[in-house]
Amino acid sequence: MNIIVLMKQVPEIEKVRFDPEKGRLDRSSAGATTNPFDLNALEAAVSMGPMKAEEMLRDAIARGADRAILLSDEMFAGADTLATAYTLSAAIKKIGSFDLVICGEKTVDGDTAQVGPEVAEFLNIPHVAFVEEILQVDSCSITVKARMERSSYIIRLSLPALITVTKDVNNPRLPTLRDKLRAMRTPITIWGYKDLAEVADPRYFGFEGSPTRVVKVYTPTAERRRGQMISGQPEEIAQKIVQVLLENKVL
Amino acid sequence: MAAALKTGLTADCVDLDLDDDGNLLQIRPAFSGNIMAQIKTRTKPQMATVRYRVMKPLNRDPCRRGEVIVREAEVPEGTGIEILDKVEIMGVNISEADIIVAAGRGLKSPEDFKLLQELASLLGGVLGSSRPLVDSGWIGKEHQVGFSGNVVKPKVYMAFGISGAPQHLFGMRDSDIIIAVNKDPSAPIIGVSDYYVVGDLYEVIPPLINEIKRVKGLVK
Amino acid sequence: MPSSTLNTVIEDLKGIVGERWVITQRELMESYLRDETPDPVRPKPAENLVLVKPSSTEEVSLILKIANDRRIPVFPVGGRTGLVGGSVPTEPGIILSLERMNRIEVDRDNLMAVAEAGATLGELIKAAEDAGLFFPPHPGDEGAQIGGLIATNAGGARAIKYGVMRNYVRGLEVVLPTSEVLWLGGKTLKNNVGYDLMQLIIGSEGTLCVITKAVIRLFPKSKYMVTLVIPFNKRSDALKSVPAILRSGVMPLAVEYVQINEVLEAARHLNESWPVQRGFAQLIIILDGMSQEEVLGACEEISKICEANNALDIFLAETSEEQSRILRIRSNIYTALKPNMVDILDVTVPPSRLEELMDEVDAIGSKYGVYLPAYGHAGDGNLHVHIMKDAGNEHVAKKIKDEIYEEAIRLGGTITGEHGLGKIRLENLQMVLSEKHLDLLRSIKRVFDPNNILNPRGL
Ligand SMILES: Cc1cc2nc3c(=O)[nH]c(=O)nc-3n(C[C@H](O)[C@H](O)[C@H](O)COP(=O)(O)OP(=O)(O)OC[C@H]3O[C@@H](n4cnc5c(N)ncnc54)[C@H](O)[C@@H]3O)c2cc1C
Ligand SMILES: Cc1cc2nc3c(=O)[nH]c(=O)nc-3n(C[C@H](O)[C@H](O)[C@H](O)COP(=O)(O)OP(=O)(O)OC[C@H]3O[C@@H](n4cnc5c(N)ncnc54)[C@H](O)[C@@H]3O)c2cc1C
Ligand SMILES: Cc1cc2nc3c(=O)[nH]c(=O)nc-3n(C[C@H](O)[C@H](O)[C@H](O)COP(=O)(O)OP(=O)(O)OC[C@H]3O[C@@H](n4cnc5c(N)ncnc54)[C@H](O)[C@@H]3O)c2cc1C
Repeated sequence: MNIIVLMKQVPEIEKVRFDPEKGRLDRSSAGATTNPFDLNALEAAVSMGPMKAEEMLRDAIARGADRAILLSDEMFAGADTLATAYTLSAAIKKIGSFDLVICGEKTVDGDTAQVGPEVAEFLNIPHVAFVEEILQVDSCSITVKARMERSSYIIRLSLPALITVTKDVNNPRLPTLRDKLRAMRTPITIWGYKDLAEVADPRYFGFEGSPTRVVKVYTPTAERRRGQMISGQPEEIAQKIVQVLLENKVL
Repeated sequence: MAAALKTGLTADCVDLDLDDDGNLLQIRPAFSGNIMAQIKTRTKPQMATVRYRVMKPLNRDPCRRGEVIVREAEVPEGTGIEILDKVEIMGVNISEADIIVAAGRGLKSPEDFKLLQELASLLGGVLGSSRPLVDSGWIGKEHQVGFSGNVVKPKVYMAFGISGAPQHLFGMRDSDIIIAVNKDPSAPIIGVSDYYVVGDLYEVIPPLINEIKRVKGLVK
Repeated sequence: MPSSTLNTVIEDLKGIVGERWVITQRELMESYLRDETPDPVRPKPAENLVLVKPSSTEEVSLILKIANDRRIPVFPVGGRTGLVGGSVPTEPGIILSLERMNRIEVDRDNLMAVAEAGATLGELIKAAEDAGLFFPPHPGDEGAQIGGLIATNAGGARAIKYGVMRNYVRGLEVVLPTSEVLWLGGKTLKNNVGYDLMQLIIGSEGTLCVITKAVIRLFPKSKYMVTLVIPFNKRSDALKSVPAILRSGVMPLAVEYVQINEVLEAARHLNESWPVQRGFAQLIIILDGMSQEEVLGACEEISKICEANNALDIFLAETSEEQSRILRIRSNIYTALKPNMVDILDVTVPPSRLEELMDEVDAIGSKYGVYLPAYGHAGDGNLHVHIMKDAGNEHVAKKIKDEIYEEAIRLGGTITGEHGLGKIRLENLQMVLSEKHLDLLRSIKRVFDPNNILNPRGL
């Protein structure tokens, strides 16, 4: 069975600093890591990103991937989900034969959960998102349990197919030291825009091919807690708490 | 759908607006909820989805008239997707709850969890607990919040009779809003709360339950 | 002390710290009456108590003045994570919590932090990290306070490379039971003026003075850190590897020994899963350094040694998420076992004799027909043995404890490596200290605390 796993390198989210005044984020103190949801989904790895993402693909090899391809080119930069998905699907077409594509449910930075389903659409294959358990795989289908709000669905997909997986799907295995050292010496295939031009239309790559624009970002609430005292007769206190619940739209 | 239409998509918006040219301004959280991003789409149609419960339904306006268009839809066959079964998820999953009503050693007896359960149910929330009550077997371990329990991040965390030990705070400090009710004005939980009541939980909860019922129209 | 004496000072205490910070109702102070010592051996708190939360050193001094004048016992408490009842208020008196005194200032130029005693370990780790520096040891639960960590000279898993709490303390501000404030040491790295009172106070368990502030040494952040998990079939193979690793020149932050039953139990308790399911005996080794190359080089060295000792494999956690998961599970072995625990022992032997000690512990276990879960800071020869409720009754539990103590002492070790004496180990003191030694300790106590008001425990 040929499995392609899509992986994105993201900042270590707990170390990113958010500056509420300037609405900026500072990634400088944060190391780069594999998007944690992607670790749950691994056999042969493809990533689109800067050359630095090589480290992550080496980690993927140490964890059991047989082969790793990095899509890295200035032409790919600034892509939104549509352009990202288009580029990734072009790479998958170039690889040729596959039975299953696995993505993480979402990233910890862009956080959209859109790339997987869009890749499936470009490849014209069935997909299911938020898979929390793989129940059965045979030569022509895969049966999964996927989460939607308060229910789970048991779904059978005919292969080839794409799934996006949640962190419940498995516990990422730890690599052995031997595999880690071997992976450090394994070369990573790098494909640029020319390599994909044969299977795709370059107008849909990168910033130029992206229909959405991030106009600005800001930090929603200042971190400090309000520390507001609510006092009065029990009935007044109840009214004030209900007011807070209503303001925060939980009631 | 966006990919099929080759257009942009901004999903899970918490706010939508129009700019001067009539284009959609889409506001959505990113970086695991740490920042908000404002997104515009250059292509048409401009597509967005909104997060559950962030928009309020408008009041019904019986004067409005609109045309209902009926079209035959062709449902394609052989999508390669077959839904075999649907399973309701039972039990609590406290780490996904939007509202947590939690109790600590300020609770006098295990029966009193019923009072908190009533409050939690009215709010569609889940019960939480500090460690001592779990250790005493008053409530299941799956409800424990903290370093040796669950790490939760609800929209509202209500702490009744919980002092706010560091090991408890570890599990809930990232909640959006923290409301604490504690008899002791020196309790550390007060220092980390957004709203606090210095008072007896047994005097605060019953009128709170009534008030919520009133607002929900369940009682007069 | 008659309870009326205590009642007469409550108004004075409110005058010092403000009404809000004096708590007299018992139901509001429950968690100040106990620490993490397992229920069966934890001392019972006294009935008549008042809890006071000062906000400054001056307030602490005023409180101690009143207490000393009226001969009222004072119990300094920290995060109440101690495992030997050290902070439990066993006589009517004042519970003194410094939790409001929790400021931390980091001095980047001198690589030091000045922390008030009520700041928690978690807060110190974070303050150092935010300043781009590093507080390497992990000497206990992160809810422990600086005052408590210093008062118990806490050790922890990462003591191999940089030592225990004592090695980090450069200066102390303390309040004597007779209410004077003293500054000991400071930001200098060397200081040779007279007897070193600061070192005497580190580890004095709140019996000589109240610690209010400390200068703590920090280190540059290491650029790269990994955690290895190494499974072995046999305990002897795992433990044999430890001295060989330390001899090889590799300097790990931590070398921990665990057995599969306990880590699986802790993982289950947290609804997590332990990453390595094979091998009865496992070593957890944390390494840090300036580059990936340097650290992986050290890993290779360790790997050679462990493989020569029949390691089943060597697993490596590199992401901070995976490393903290391993540490969190390891840290929760204690909490997972706690509901069925009678006592947790803290015996320490020369590192090379750890295996012998563990075999003796097993032998004692079989003799009494009980399972004695054990794990330890293997690099330090420090073993935590748990006596569980299957021991049946208190009498048997005590016999098991005494026999383990005897074995540890026979192997050149001692009865406690890091938790201290608190209030439940005094009965075993004569096993390790001579009468003359005890006399000196008693005299020192009298010099600092002539009226025996500070954490009295009857040495
Ligand atoms: C603040 C902000 C807001 C944004 N909002 C939008 C928006 O509203 N609409 C929009 O179209 N774009 C948006 N983007 C751009 C989007 O984040 C990027 O296109 C990003 O490259 C991919 O999206 P994602 O990180 O959300 O991935 P997700 O869709 O969340 O990722 C799911 C999975 O897809 C795979 N995957 C994703 N990216 C890659 C990759 N580069 N290489 C390999 N596999 C990958 C991984 O398996 C991953 O787990 C936004 C970016 C930012 C910074
Ligand atoms: C390694 C370790 C792990 C731990 N893990 C966890 C964990 O995961 N989760 C956890 O919660 N704890 C954990 N703890 C325990 C933690 O240290 C505290 O002991 C615990 O959180 C205290 O619980 P509490 O606040 O309910 O009780 P208390 O600290 O006793 O507080 C009770 C509070 O109730 C108030 N009160 C009393 N009566 C009333 C009333 N009628 N109305 C209103 N208020 C009232 C009191 O003023 C007091 O503040 C852990 C400890 C350690 C050492
Ligand atoms: C899960 C867990 C893991 C642990 N791991 C370790 C470990 O790895 N290594 C280790 O050495 N210990 C460990 N311990 C026990 C260790 O003793 C405590 O973690 C810590 O050192 C005590 O700090 P505390 O603030 O909780 O003090 P408390 O328990 O509150 O008090 C301990 C003693 O210090 C005194 N004291 C507290 N504050 C002051 C002050 N300001 N001035 C004077 N005296 C004071 C008290 O009177 C008492 O005698 C662990 C405990 C737990 C529960």
